[in-house]
Amino acid sequence: MEGLVTQIQGLSGTASDVLSLQNLLKQADDSLHAESTRLPPFLDQLDPSKHSLGYLYFLEACTAGPVTREQASSFVLTIARFISSCVAEQIRLAPDKFISVCKRFKDQVLLLEEPLRGVAPMLTAIRKLQLSSEHLTALHPEFLLLCLLSKCYKTALSILEEDIFEVDQPRDLFLYCYYGGMISIGQKQFRKALELLHNVVTAPMSTVNAIAVEAFKKYILVSLIHHGQFPTNLPKYASSGAQRNLKTLCQPYVELASSYSNGKIADLEMYVEANKDKFESDNNLGLVKQAVSSMYKRNIQRLTQTYLTLSLQDIANRVQLNSPKEAEMHVLQMIKDGEIYATINQKDGMVRFLEDPEQYKTCEMIERIDSSIQRLMTVSKKLNVMDELMSCDPLYLAKAGRERQRFDFDDFDNVPQRYNI
Amino acid sequence: MASSSSSGLTFKLHPLVIVNISDHYTRVKSQTNPPPLTSTSATVNGVEHQQQAPRVYGCVIGVQRGRTVEIFNSFELLYDPSTHSLDRPFLEKKQELYKKVFPHFYILGWYSTGSDAQESDMHIHKALMDINESPLYVLLNPTINPAQKDLPVTIYESELHVIDGIPQLIFVRSSYTIETVEAERISVDHVAHLKPSDGGSAATQLAAHLTGIHSAIKMLNSRIRVLHHYLVGMQKGDIPCENSLLRQVSSLLRRLPAIESEKFQDDFLMEYNDTLLITYLAMFTNCSSTMNELVDKFNTAYDRHSRRGGRTAFI
Repeated sequence: MEGLVTQIQGLSGTASDVLSLQNLLKQADDSLHAESTRLPPFLDQLDPSKHSLGYLYFLEACTAGPVTREQASSFVLTIARFISSCVAEQIRLAPDKFISVCKRFKDQVLLLEEPLRGVAPMLTAIRKLQLSSEHLTALHPEFLLLCLLSKCYKTALSILEEDIFEVDQPRDLFLYCYYGGMISIGQKQFRKALELLHNVVTAPMSTVNAIAVEAFKKYILVSLIHHGQFPTNLPKYASSGAQRNLKTLCQPYVELASSYSNGKIADLEMYVEANKDKFESDNNLGLVKQAVSSMYKRNIQRLTQTYLTLSLQDIANRVQLNSPKEAEMHVLQMIKDGEIYATINQKDGMVRFLEDPEQYKTCEMIERIDSSIQRLMTVSKKLNVMDELMSCDPLYLAKAGRERQRFDFDDFDNVPQRYNI
Repeated sequence: MASSSSSGLTFKLHPLVIVNISDHYTRVKSQTNPPPLTSTSATVNGVEHQQQAPRVYGCVIGVQRGRTVEIFNSFELLYDPSTHSLDRPFLEKKQELYKKVFPHFYILGWYSTGSDAQESDMHIHKALMDINESPLYVLLNPTINPAQKDLPVTIYESELHVIDGIPQLIFVRSSYTIETVEAERISVDHVAHLKPSDGGSAATQLAAHLTGIHSAIKMLNSRIRVLHHYLVGMQKGDIPCENSLLRQVSSLLRRLPAIESEKFQDDFLMEYNDTLLITYLAMFTNCSSTMNELVDKFNTAYDRHSRRGGRTAFI
């Protein structure tokens, strides 16, 4: 054991030394695990900022067994210190060990019921493990879970802003997008929530999984809140399993959506009352109530398409609100959020609906469009690369070759096929 | 070879001649088989085969009025390496044919390609001296030099100089100007830029138009940069102040558009935004179609229960 420690201390200098150290550590791994109780004092001899790889192996062996509450708090401190001072290159040589250490860290933090302590270290851990900002690691969903439980949504938003192009494990993507959707709902950023939940629902899956079902329920509700409608068919890039099964599994929500589209608030509220316990058991009652209140907004928006001016009393009647005062409050809120353009004349209680004042004449608009075009160009390049990769995929070629229409004998060339005899 | 001629003749060269010579050279070069060596066999041989640039030869014809020599056209001739001379009977036949159509045109000299005039060229030159007592030698340098600003065409005359006590004919360079007629300019431009003659599709026309504008703007940009650099140098004092140049620059600047009003800004920005939006829309469509294809491929490859049956042809 001491020999191993000295070797770690000696071989942590250059990159080639570290690689040879890694081989040594892999061989010594079992013996480390066998003596896990004796290890904590050795940790003090190692310096996490210089001997990160060795420290990681030791740490992983230490935390492998079941942990009591007292041990948990000391481990939490050690792991947090390690994460903040470790060297990223050495960590990336043993990513699974790092991930399992961080997951145990999360478990211990939850055991102590202080998720807030875990948020900052987990964020540092993600940054050190990621190969680039477009890379989704297994730590992302853990981090988002901690943020959700500790209710610090703003930190999570910085991670959610990044576009993801590479994923290690599909389960990570599902969890990440689901938690991300919930955080965005918490911050009332419904557009982002819709995008993330949409990703979960349309991600490729050979069989429908529970995360997708829960996400679909929230997806329907957020779509009603944000767009005012719910598209009954999933887009064609959703897996066929999802397309067929998700709707049957979330029946009450689909019916909610259809009664929403009728536009009558009374019916909607009756339906909600009737199925209250179902919504509550899914923890979605808050969202459902928000969806119901968004119905008023939808109706007012529909009015802007028919009328130029309307009195507050009329608005209240048409939208089935109780008084002109409430109507005024709703309209004011919508003007502030930028959802409609209108002016309220308080003397005679008339509301004038206006056109979108954007004239597209400003330099800011130029910059906006220009940046959008740049983003679109990068996306287009990535798409082209993926398209080419896909065209060379043997699975695709096999199936495409089989389904081709044959026009003459020259078409019968050697594309790999299976013979169904 | 001396550097300037003293014969006092002014030479006018038509662009058709230049295009002819360059076309001749390009044709011959692209029709000769490329060397069949790969890099490995080159080292085996141990000898580096240099691709000799083929030399092409021909005659130039035109009119001489007093002291002005105007070169209008040219035609190709074969070079006989054994006798080191040009194909004489062919030349005379061609001369007769041209005389019938253009009675005023005379054979003024000959052309060739290469980087510099060579001693062996004097043979050909002397051989032509019986048709024209002082023939011209037009030399085109086919190597592309991006740093060079003017045309790689030189016109040589022959003069009798006394060198080492022996009177010898040597080549001397002459200056020339480019002269053109409107009809010639249009056709040469058309040929040089390879514009699609039938109008092409809208996309190729747009691309050609935009490329032209792009190169024009690039040239404008580089020239303004040169001027700017010069003026900055003058300001710092590295270059002596030249008032006539400064006057020219200031008159150029005064010719710039002077509209700076609110309405102009509005209209200009609106039009700019419209163009950007159209570009954005075009990119969107492009991206969407790529994504659509990608999704189709993905579904075919990986979706277990995708629709069986033949794929319908896109019409």
